[in-house]
Amino acid sequence: MTYMPAYWFGDVEGGSCTPFFGDANQIAARIRMIRTSMDSFTPLSWEQAVSCGFCQNRSEYLTRLREVCFLTAEREIRAQYAGKDTELLHMVRTLDEMDTVINLLSERAMEWYQIRQPTFSRKYRRTPTHLMVRKIREKSRGALGSVAGQIESLSLARTDLAKEVSSRANRVLPNTSALIGGLVAARLMAQAGGLVPLSRMPASTIQVLGAKTALFAHIRTKTPSPKHGIIFQHRRVHNAPRAVRGKVSRVLAGKLAIAARLDQYRGVLVPEFIEQAQAKIDATGHFSHEQKTGGDAP
Amino acid sequence: MIWIGDVLVSKGEGGVYNERTLGEARVWDPYRSKLAALYYLGKGVELTPDMCVLYLGAANGTTVSHVADYTNTVYAVEFAPRPMQDLLEVAHRRNNIVPIMADATRPELYTPLVEAVDLLYQDVAQPDQAAITIRNSVFLKRGGTLILMLKTRSVDIRKNPAEVFEETLALLSSGGLTPIESLWLEPYHHDHAAIVCTKPRD
Repeated sequence: MTYMPAYWFGDVEGGSCTPFFGDANQIAARIRMIRTSMDSFTPLSWEQAVSCGFCQNRSEYLTRLREVCFLTAEREIRAQYAGKDTELLHMVRTLDEMDTVINLLSERAMEWYQIRQPTFSRKYRRTPTHLMVRKIREKSRGALGSVAGQIESLSLARTDLAKEVSSRANRVLPNTSALIGGLVAARLMAQAGGLVPLSRMPASTIQVLGAKTALFAHIRTKTPSPKHGIIFQHRRVHNAPRAVRGKVSRVLAGKLAIAARLDQYRGVLVPEFIEQAQAKIDATGHFSHEQKTGGDAP
Repeated sequence: MIWIGDVLVSKGEGGVYNERTLGEARVWDPYRSKLAALYYLGKGVELTPDMCVLYLGAANGTTVSHVADYTNTVYAVEFAPRPMQDLLEVAHRRNNIVPIMADATRPELYTPLVEAVDLLYQDVAQPDQAAITIRNSVFLKRGGTLILMLKTRSVDIRKNPAEVFEETLALLSSGGLTPIESLWLEPYHHDHAAIVCTKPRD
């Protein structure tokens, strides 16, 4: 096959050029079809487009080129955002930031409240933070009371958001969510930067996602490697006996890597896989536990 | 380049990113733009009104807008959708910017669009910056200039920045580009180096 340079405005061969006639849409479609070999490539010159009869002058050339480029870029942006994971990513990040803000504000409000009530101390009280905030709102006048009220409404918004995150994760990440719950699945996905990157990660990376500091400390110095990152938030990991926690998180991460690929490439829940994976993970926790106690006997 | 006193500026429509203006001129901040830093350090090539530029890693279009003020046409390549949204906004208001949403590591996808250029500017912060540059140097006219902004931390975080710098220089030379000057962008940007090369005429 002879090589013929094809540019957006037409095909050039030797001294002659065949202009392409069509609107921006058709030109964009044409560009997608063009395959260029980089070995014998010569960049275009706009004068070719003029001698071709495609346009009159440089300003017309640029106007039409820009029209095509804007069209292509806008279409491409829309296509990239259409991925179901993009919004979930922002929802998770917003959720985490709300947690931080609510904690900071609550701490600050309590410090402030203690100054107003010199006899009050939180020692030996088991009042959860949100009840303390309510108490502050009820008992304080002025700015402190209204700040406490705002913290409460932020907490409400946070609860709503968390529910939405987890229900959306069930849709976007059906298999991953079935294994570790919507919220943690969404956090994993957000940490990875999206479903595509998550689905391409090896299990060992998923295992320590969210433990960046510990991982780099391990690489740089001789500290032990992290056993788990975000997946620690899953009950099977944090409830596992210390001795097998690393093992459980390794097996879980292995199954998660498969689940993420199912989510990316199949997009539907695969019950057989989930069943087998759950059994395997549970077996890891229990079996190792018994084996260990058994092994201790002799 | 246009200086008002010792402030680098460019002449164009202001308000792109809330930049400071001096009369009609837009202040080009060396702490925000690596290219501006290069000029503040007294290096780089003069941007002229007849130049065509291929700008890889256009990001939000802040530096692009200044380059466009000085030159004839800027082909601005950016891959990520979020910064591309901003770049399109900038390009709407400056009709000498051609925004291209493409991956700079795959120039074969935008060969039908980009003409031969006088300046290749590369700021993509990827591990294989030198290879990307060499692959894109087909667009550069003979005698044209390459400006490469090397983010050594993106190439290899565990390597000594100076080592990365030397390796990149060697790669560029073997890729047919002649380095003419190279420097660190201290104090404006840390662990960033600028490398200026020409493409030989023969």
